Amino acid sequence: MPENKLKPDQWINAYGDALYSYTLARINDTGIAEDLVQETFLSAWKARDSYKGEASEKSWLFTICKNKIIDHYRKKARDIVQPMAETSATDQFFDSEEHWTVEDKPTDWAMDYASKMDNKEFYKILNGCKKKLQEIQQAVFSMKYMEDLDAAEICKALGITSSNYWVLIHRAKLQLRTCLEKNWINLK
Amino acid sequence: MISCKKATYLVSKKEEKKLSWIERWQLRAHLAMCSLCRKFEMQSGFIGRNAKHLHEHLHATLSPEAKEKIKAVLKNQ
Ligand SMILES: [Zn+2]
Repeated sequence: MPENKLKPDQWINAYGDALYSYTLARINDTGIAEDLVQETFLSAWKARDSYKGEASEKSWLFTICKNKIIDHYRKKARDIVQPMAETSATDQFFDSEEHWTVEDKPTDWAMDYASKMDNKEFYKILNGCKKKLQEIQQAVFSMKYMEDLDAAEICKALGITSSNYWVLIHRAKLQLRTCLEKNWINLK
Repeated sequence: MISCKKATYLVSKKEEKKLSWIERWQLRAHLAMCSLCRKFEMQSGFIGRNAKHLHEHLHATLSPEAKEKIKAVLKNQ
């Protein structure tokens, strides 16, 4: 089997856009995303001697990029974690009895929920909805559902308690669901 | 009977298998009665499973200037 070899002179043309899309899906700031891609290539370049060829060049670069993104959240956590008003956080969706309000109750999406979504329009709207979340909710949502970290790792990285974590996930899901339903499902 | 607010909170915990036995029981009883929260559970799972594919559909590109800048930075190493 041919050994995986690094080709740094081709990195930017071969992987630059893919790494940038990956980062931008997780961090909605083009400037920061560009910086993180640059840092990814720089770290990879510095670590090139430690590359053993076990993973493909591409997945090796993506792993470095993923760590840059998590590092970014970790550093930023201090600014974006706010003291949470737990009582009011999700109240807009529920009435005084804590049942769904008429405006926000889930309607049928008339689709196979188990299917893998391939509709470009869906992702465009998901991205727009994700941008509307508070930064801390976006961080938690990305780390959980896009980076597949577990609750304990996320709490440690962001310096939040597990009950904060569940409140943030809960609220992010409620908001995304409502936003998707209003902007995508009703368009179909 | 727990509220819809509590039930939807527990749905995410369930997805990560972090429910205590009493929570599992409370959620199961609620979902048996409440079709709205059953919809929420399906949709929540759907969002969670598909979110990780977002970047595959973004097709964002680095500007030529950004690429040149990165190439220059690497060259100076
Ligand atoms: Zn309910």
